Amino acid sequence: MKKYFLVRAMTEAQARNGTQLFPSNRSLCTSSNSSDLALKNVTKSNFEPALAELRSHVREADFVSIDLEMTGVTSAPWRESFEFDRSDIRYLKVKDSAEKFAVVQFGVCPFRWDSKNHSFIAHPHNFYIFPRQEIPGDGPSNEFSCQTTSLDFLAKYQFDFNACIYEGISYLSRSQEEEALTRLNSVYKDETSDSLSSLKAAADPQLVRMADILFAERMKIKIGEWRAGLLHNTNKESELQGSSIDINQNLQTTFFKLRPALVLNALTSRQLRLTELVTIKHFEDLAYVHVTGETSCPQPLVVYTESTEDRDLLMREIKDSRRKAAVTKIKAAVGFRHVIDLLSTERKLIVGHNCFLDMAHIYKKFIGPLPSAVEEYVLEVQKHFPYIVDTKVLLNSDSSFLHLVKKGSTSLSKAFTLLCPQIVSSSISSIVLADKPRIKVEVHVDNKRFSNWNSGAKHEAGYDAFMTGCVFAQACTDLGIDFSRHEPDVNLVDNEKLQKYINHLYLSWINGDIIDLRTGKFPADSLSSTNLKQRYPKILFSNIVILWDLPSKLRAREIKECMSKVFGVDSVTSVFHLDETAAFVQLSKQEFVSRLLELKDTLEQKYDPISVLHPLAKILEGGRTRAASYEIYKEICSSPISEFLFSDQAEAVGIEWRTRLLEPIVEVANQGDKISSFSQDRRETCPRNNATGPPSRCHFPSEELVDSFYPVQAQLSK
Amino acid sequence: MLHQRLFCTKIYPTAVHHHRGSRHQNLWRIKQVTKSNLSETFEEIKTHISNSDFIAVSLQQTGAYSAPWQRVLPIDTDETAYLKSKRAAERFQVLQFAICPFSVKASKLIVHPYNFHLFPRDELKIAMPSYSFSCQSSYLASMAREGFDFNACIYDGISYLSRAQELAAADRIGPSSTSSFVVPSSSTNSVADSVFRESTKSRVRHWINACKDSNKKTEDVLISVLRKLVSGSEVYGSRPCLIISVCSERQVQLVLEMLKEFVDVVPILVPARGGGIQAVRAVLTSSEEDKNLLEKELQDMEEERNKRVRGFREVIDLISASQKPVVAHNSLSDFTFIYSKFLAPLPSTINEFRSSLLLVFPHVLDVNHLMKEIGPVEKVNNLPASISYLRRKFFAPIDMEVSHRAEADKVQIHGRNVLQISELFAKLCSVLKINPETFEEDYNHLSSAIQCHANKFNPSSTRFGDPIDEDVRIWNKNSRRINIDNLVFLWGLEGGISAGMLKALLHDSHEVFSKEFDVQMVDKNCAVIVFWTPGFSERFLRIMDSGEIFSESLKDMISKGLAAASYKTYKSVCKLGLWEVDLADALDKALEETERLTEAKSEEDLSVINWNNDKMINLDDL
Repeated sequence: MKKYFLVRAMTEAQARNGTQLFPSNRSLCTSSNSSDLALKNVTKSNFEPALAELRSHVREADFVSIDLEMTGVTSAPWRESFEFDRSDIRYLKVKDSAEKFAVVQFGVCPFRWDSKNHSFIAHPHNFYIFPRQEIPGDGPSNEFSCQTTSLDFLAKYQFDFNACIYEGISYLSRSQEEEALTRLNSVYKDETSDSLSSLKAAADPQLVRMADILFAERMKIKIGEWRAGLLHNTNKESELQGSSIDINQNLQTTFFKLRPALVLNALTSRQLRLTELVTIKHFEDLAYVHVTGETSCPQPLVVYTESTEDRDLLMREIKDSRRKAAVTKIKAAVGFRHVIDLLSTERKLIVGHNCFLDMAHIYKKFIGPLPSAVEEYVLEVQKHFPYIVDTKVLLNSDSSFLHLVKKGSTSLSKAFTLLCPQIVSSSISSIVLADKPRIKVEVHVDNKRFSNWNSGAKHEAGYDAFMTGCVFAQACTDLGIDFSRHEPDVNLVDNEKLQKYINHLYLSWINGDIIDLRTGKFPADSLSSTNLKQRYPKILFSNIVILWDLPSKLRAREIKECMSKVFGVDSVTSVFHLDETAAFVQLSKQEFVSRLLELKDTLEQKYDPISVLHPLAKILEGGRTRAASYEIYKEICSSPISEFLFSDQAEAVGIEWRTRLLEPIVEVANQGDKISSFSQDRRETCPRNNATGPPSRCHFPSEELVDSFYPVQAQLSK
Repeated sequence: MLHQRLFCTKIYPTAVHHHRGSRHQNLWRIKQVTKSNLSETFEEIKTHISNSDFIAVSLQQTGAYSAPWQRVLPIDTDETAYLKSKRAAERFQVLQFAICPFSVKASKLIVHPYNFHLFPRDELKIAMPSYSFSCQSSYLASMAREGFDFNACIYDGISYLSRAQELAAADRIGPSSTSSFVVPSSSTNSVADSVFRESTKSRVRHWINACKDSNKKTEDVLISVLRKLVSGSEVYGSRPCLIISVCSERQVQLVLEMLKEFVDVVPILVPARGGGIQAVRAVLTSSEEDKNLLEKELQDMEEERNKRVRGFREVIDLISASQKPVVAHNSLSDFTFIYSKFLAPLPSTINEFRSSLLLVFPHVLDVNHLMKEIGPVEKVNNLPASISYLRRKFFAPIDMEVSHRAEADKVQIHGRNVLQISELFAKLCSVLKINPETFEEDYNHLSSAIQCHANKFNPSSTRFGDPIDEDVRIWNKNSRRINIDNLVFLWGLEGGISAGMLKALLHDSHEVFSKEFDVQMVDKNCAVIVFWTPGFSERFLRIMDSGEIFSESLKDMISKGLAAASYKTYKSVCKLGLWEVDLADALDKALEETERLTEAKSEEDLSVINWNNDKMINLDDL
């Protein structure tokens, strides 16, 4: 839930670095104590110096804590984390969240052990970031989703949306940067010397209007006169030059790359295009040049060149400088990613609190598209961030912490209050907690030092990162890691007491499943807190049927009753509602799944008294109810679409038509087997991957069974 | 503290300077409305709407399209344009809604501009009006350039529920009022109905008598408690009341009807937790005045509830109830947003949309269409361009009078589009010699000149009232129209190819390209080809299908993945909602889908043949 905690207040740092957008009277509005002003806020106006400073801090740091604030967490209610989510599904849900929502604030706090003062030195930074489009090229990357409740929550904690949108630092991911550079290359590659002729051809039909023809004719004469004047001057050094400029107010001579050039003033874009056309058509030794970026004021020119070779040389030169300017622009657009690159190249220990989603956002926003499988993803993450510690895992895995923080209260702010009371309130530190060694943290912000930094601006990315770091430092001390004996050249990441925590993250807090980033596996018991595992019996995913488009207001109890009547009293292990339109039913035996799907099929095909009186009739009432095995749920989750209701989602994903599309593949795979017999086989051998619909929607039973084969194929091909 | 902050951030001085000219200063006295001043504004705008002849509207959204081809393009038909707008309306959010009731008297334009700041806050904790919405960062950035205060919008924006959402949430927010349960006069009562009716009626009668009795004589405390227990009577405020349990809507109707016989009794519905009505509370009033008092109280409560639940939609309902002509600039986009946010989920076809929208807003005028009467098509795309075009070409002086008193140096530019729309409309009326004042007499007999401009939605459509307008334009600036049958989509092109290059490649590569044809890029690797000679498009598609080779360059392109499809495929892309980033991918998917359908069909045929074969064999056996 920590994502929802965020407090925003404008700080002095911001106002001082201030842009005109934030009038100075703003700082009067923030009713907070002076220490609150010490959080270093970074926006695009002070990004460059802040980055330079951060570089040295990170380099010296023992570890760096981070925290992110996003515009939302789940794109639909059914995308929330459920205990019925298998680990691959949980990753898909995290992936969806990281792909849809934007990061608006990024807290980075490097911590360094100061052996002289026996304390930590922390440098909390609070970056406002916004995916502003800095380079041309429209793509979906500049679109993001907002969850209404998340924005509302941010607003309750006075997040400054204006600071984010007006002044937020933008960024490009590595793959975006590469893509932009490739696009640039292709643009400049195509423009070979023959581009002139093609341009001529394309531009020719422009001369249609009478006014255009007249204008072009006039320009031709003018440029011709100017050129003649130039040639005349170079030959005879006459005084004519001056007068010719005076006559034509909009003809003025300048020099461009050591060549004489005619300045084209006060012309519309259409007139400029016509001028260009005239130049190309009638003057071999003249070149039309419109330079932007390189010179301070972009100006259209007609440049005199000595020969066609010289002209081509000039054009190439211009192209190169243009390209250079474009590359510079792309490099500048990298923006906030420099911070991520810094953390990555320094290979520092990254500390976060319940940070699996945070890492996914970092990967998606600053590295590249998220891989579709969690195993692949964790390997990629490890390449960029070899050492990550999740303080939530740390606190929940050690019985001494669990005793202290009590079960279930390992939220960041609670953990901070319990573990670091000396920082929360300096007055109680020495008295109450004399029994345990307490860490000291000195906060440095812009050359100011605060030995007890209790920010009033709580729960803000920068401050959350600070709290996470403090909790980690204290936890390390409690684990017996003695920082005062810590050799400066020995890295914290090599400390053996930390080894079993490094790179272990909660994939999902709700199930207490911890993933080992090094292997992509879920270590069975080493870390998982026992009490969480015991709460739920083990879920057998192959025994699960997912039902959707259920008759409205059908309760879980009723579903259980219906099923029990068909398969026996103990056949239903549990029923769980995804949302009002869909439910998971876990059956006691795997065979019940296929039997249920088959039974549903038969019942829907005939409308006789038996099917009406059948216990399942209650579930099938209305004739819209759909049922499928767990694999279909995965397919639905992996879609980029997010409809509000699960039943709408299933329809939008096109469980029917899209799976049917794969018929040809199936046929190929089975070497011309007859569809009917083949599908009969499927019914026997692989019935659990069956998505069956009411007969009204599936006219071809054989096809319907072929559909069901698709997920198997998909699985096999991975 | 919150308010302090808001106050501080209200004005961004930078925003104003680029709108130069003192002439415009008074134009920007637009009343900015947020949650805090909604109720006072509501009464104000109500009067202005009823006193004005027209209502101009303009919306500021968080985005418009997710990929270049998903814009409404000149090549779109009414249907595909609608489907694209539908997609945008469902995906993005309205943050500002400017409304300007106005009248035109001679050359004087009287305007009452308002700008409502909206935010789809979940006020009732029911995941409505919007669970989430999309933003395009470029749209937010351009709002930022105008100095829009996002904090004020998100902290203090007005929320709303659409009509459909209010109905859907009725079980969670309670029914609106007793008036929604009207008994159909023709309804016949069953035996059960009359038994229920009579028993409750006698119960009410006894209760009323008991109440009146108990007023006369003092009673033992124990007895009065027992009496209350037995009769189920309670107290509602200071008044006695009786709870009548009901178990169906039919019973609610019956009870309400029955209670009409008791003049002193006011019914109040008690909502059930799970939805519906669990009981009717009959409140006994002591006199006529007392009854009126109670009814007034209830009415106030109802209004309070409506404000809480409907929020900004109350303003939309006001406009709708006034039945006045609504003037917009980009009516298709604006009205798909209005429909989806404030009325109901958008229907799947434009005809359904058109007909149900017209029930709510009978007269929708689009200044874009009026502009086309007088100007070349390319001039009408944006408001300032249209206005300056009119100013240069025509003499149509309009004096604008803004009703709001100037608030000292507070210049508000947000929502100024709505003023420009009003101004443009007034100028256009004057240029086109339409007398807008005649509207006052009878809205149902709109002056014919305006009527033919009403209710057109697609900017590329020209014919009025023709539901199957299948001619499209190819370029924004060109008015030459062509039937969609002559269009072919071409994709699988090499990156970075331009329309000119593609045209040169195709030129003379085959007979179909020997006559006049045009090429236009739809997005970076998909183009549309226009064959000006009828029938050539089909020929070209047939050639592509058959694999007949026409030139080396084209052969090369086909081997690199060139594909072609008719306009029908494009239509099904929109219909199936295949909103891929690249149109090429979407067209591929749509082709696969149509292939599947035809395959299914052919299979069906096959099965019929088989069945016949069986029969024939049987016949032979005989």
